[in-house]
Amino acid sequence: MQTKRTTFRSWWLPYLLVAPQLAITLVFFIWPAGQAVYQSFLREDPFGLSTTWVGLRNYIRLFDSAEYLASFETTVIFTVCTASLSMGLSLLLAVAVDRMIRTASVYTTLVVWPYAVAPAIAGILWWFMFNPSFGILTYVLEMVGYDWNHRLNGEDAMTLVVLASAWKQISYNFLFFVAGLQSIPMSLREAAAIDGAGPVKRFFTVVFPLLSPTTFFLLVVNINYTMFDTFSTIDASTAGGPGQATTILVYKVYEDGVKGLNLGSSAAQSVILMSIVIALTFIQFRFIERRVQY
Amino acid sequence: MAGIKLSAVKKIYPGAAEPAVKGVDLDIQDGEFVVLVGPSGCGKSTLLRMIAGLETVSDGEIAIGDKVVNQMEPAERDIAMVFQNYALYPHMSVRQNMSYGLKNRKMPKGEIARRIDEAAAVLEITPYLDRKPRALSGGQRQRVAMGRAIVRDPAAFLFDEPLSNLDAKLRLHMRGEIKQLHQRLKTTSVYVTHDQLEAMTLADRLVVLNHGRIEQVGRPLDLYRRPASTFVAGFLGAPAMNLIDAEVTGGALMLAGAALARGLQAEAGRVTAGIRPEALRLRAAPGGNFRLDYVEELGGSRIVHGHIGAQRIIAQTDLAQELSAEMQAELPLEELHLFHATEGHRLSMGLNQPATADPQLVGA
Ligand SMILES: Nc1ncnc2c1ncn2[C@@H]1O[C@H](COP(=O)(O)OP(=O)(O)OP(=O)(O)O)[C@@H](O)[C@H]1O
Ligand SMILES: [Mg+2]
Repeated sequence: MQTKRTTFRSWWLPYLLVAPQLAITLVFFIWPAGQAVYQSFLREDPFGLSTTWVGLRNYIRLFDSAEYLASFETTVIFTVCTASLSMGLSLLLAVAVDRMIRTASVYTTLVVWPYAVAPAIAGILWWFMFNPSFGILTYVLEMVGYDWNHRLNGEDAMTLVVLASAWKQISYNFLFFVAGLQSIPMSLREAAAIDGAGPVKRFFTVVFPLLSPTTFFLLVVNINYTMFDTFSTIDASTAGGPGQATTILVYKVYEDGVKGLNLGSSAAQSVILMSIVIALTFIQFRFIERRVQY
Repeated sequence: MAGIKLSAVKKIYPGAAEPAVKGVDLDIQDGEFVVLVGPSGCGKSTLLRMIAGLETVSDGEIAIGDKVVNQMEPAERDIAMVFQNYALYPHMSVRQNMSYGLKNRKMPKGEIARRIDEAAAVLEITPYLDRKPRALSGGQRQRVAMGRAIVRDPAAFLFDEPLSNLDAKLRLHMRGEIKQLHQRLKTTSVYVTHDQLEAMTLADRLVVLNHGRIEQVGRPLDLYRRPASTFVAGFLGAPAMNLIDAEVTGGALMLAGAALARGLQAEAGRVTAGIRPEALRLRAAPGGNFRLDYVEELGGSRIVHGHIGAQRIIAQTDLAQELSAEMQAELPLEELHLFHATEGHRLSMGLNQPATADPQLVGA
């Protein structure tokens, strides 16, 4: 890949230009992260009157807790379902748009709308539609004989948050997929058509492999999205319930810390979460990216 | 192997004001190498892509062999195409690129390997078989693209400007290879180019297209010697033929008040006279009709730019030619081409003598 090199005339200008970003990162990311790490070794009573150094005990206790391990499982299910649903659907839409790209401007705009919706609003939107008492989708489901109640049924609740989160992310994925598809030269597909590959085979043997850098990038983004950004969607729709059915790791951090005021444990959970994301991203870039290069 | 027959083929792109191809009839014989040539936008690619099945045919009929293929998918037409940008699959190795079309057709593995080895040997790409296209030079990619077409052993090869991304030297080389390859395989080929030299050298038969219509079809030398219109005349040959406004009066071709040629049996009136630069004979003569402007040296020959009256004329002469500011231009009569002044089609001059007749030099 070619990189563009810009030469600055004065040595301080580049530093000045990145300074605001560095400051923001420092104040809003590095510093709180450091605080979380520090706090995870402490135990503090809810009123902040006494603080004791407990070492790794917060962590040990977490991995002994069935509730925490269940939250792990919930997160995996939630992440896999949301990422595959939103990426699958947006790829489908992108392929459809790519075929008739002339009309795409209208179509594209429509599909991009959900991205402008705040996550909490997305949660409420879907919560309304699936509301057991007056939701329109609940009504439709009831007509086909399904008794929807995400307040009582954990699986219903999971479906609801997956739908709401995936829907929110579709537009973003869609834009990247369309751009990715557009960058595949038409002549490659034509060559494949002449080479006797039908539309489906063409997609899986030529188009999809060439789309893999885009897919990989979106995978990283989507996993990070589902692990963190879905917080407000969940908070607005199911609040982690019923029981612990939709309490993903990031929601549990909030529940234990803000609601339960167990700050030490909550901090330890944040640190674990942070390490998971760093590890995942590292693995993805280190090992998978190498294989998607062609 | 098979011939290709186009009957009144038209293409109208949706929303386009004018058809891109306006009724083309063409009968390509089995084993023939036909070159479609013409300026940019004349519909060459469109025509080729209709034969390939990559564009729908708006009207008319295309037959490959004895089958009408209008409704057939590209894969069913038994053709192979070489694209301008080669269209190699970037994520597959050279071998996979070449085998893709064969695997899709469920050819046995042994046969695939045999064909690839054979084609790779012919094209000298055997050392690169396991590389990805990105690790190849432009010329090597070009060969792989040809290899992918060859292994299919199709009824016809279609080429869309396959050499235009190569540098001049490599282009010349590959041109020779394509010609040899065709002599060896004798597969029907349709080749699109806008390079008239490529067209002249490769074609068994040349098709000159202009604005979606065929201007002239024929053997390259026939087209060169007897262009049917000012368009073909100006398109074939480098440097291009001089096309100058002149008048025929009393059997003489009058240019700037002086006769350039006599003994024509053409109708009197305004005409366009076509003179090949290499046909014009110059003789240093004070007071001659040709005024020298400047000279371009090509090494082996030179191009002399000048004018007769107000008309700019170029002549190609050998190095022995003596040059002076004023020269006498002479033209062998059978080297003169006359075209209709407004319509541009070729006019008869009543000349029946074969091209081998003694040059009849006519002075002013
Ligand atoms: N997909 C398309 N939609 C609409 N018009 C098109 C399309 N493809 C080509 N055209 C038009 O059809 C005409 C012929 O195009 P074509 O590509 O066949 O030209 P060409 O002879 O191959 O030119 P070039 O030498 O530049 O490749 C042009 O006027 C072009 O603008
Ligand atoms: Mg073209």
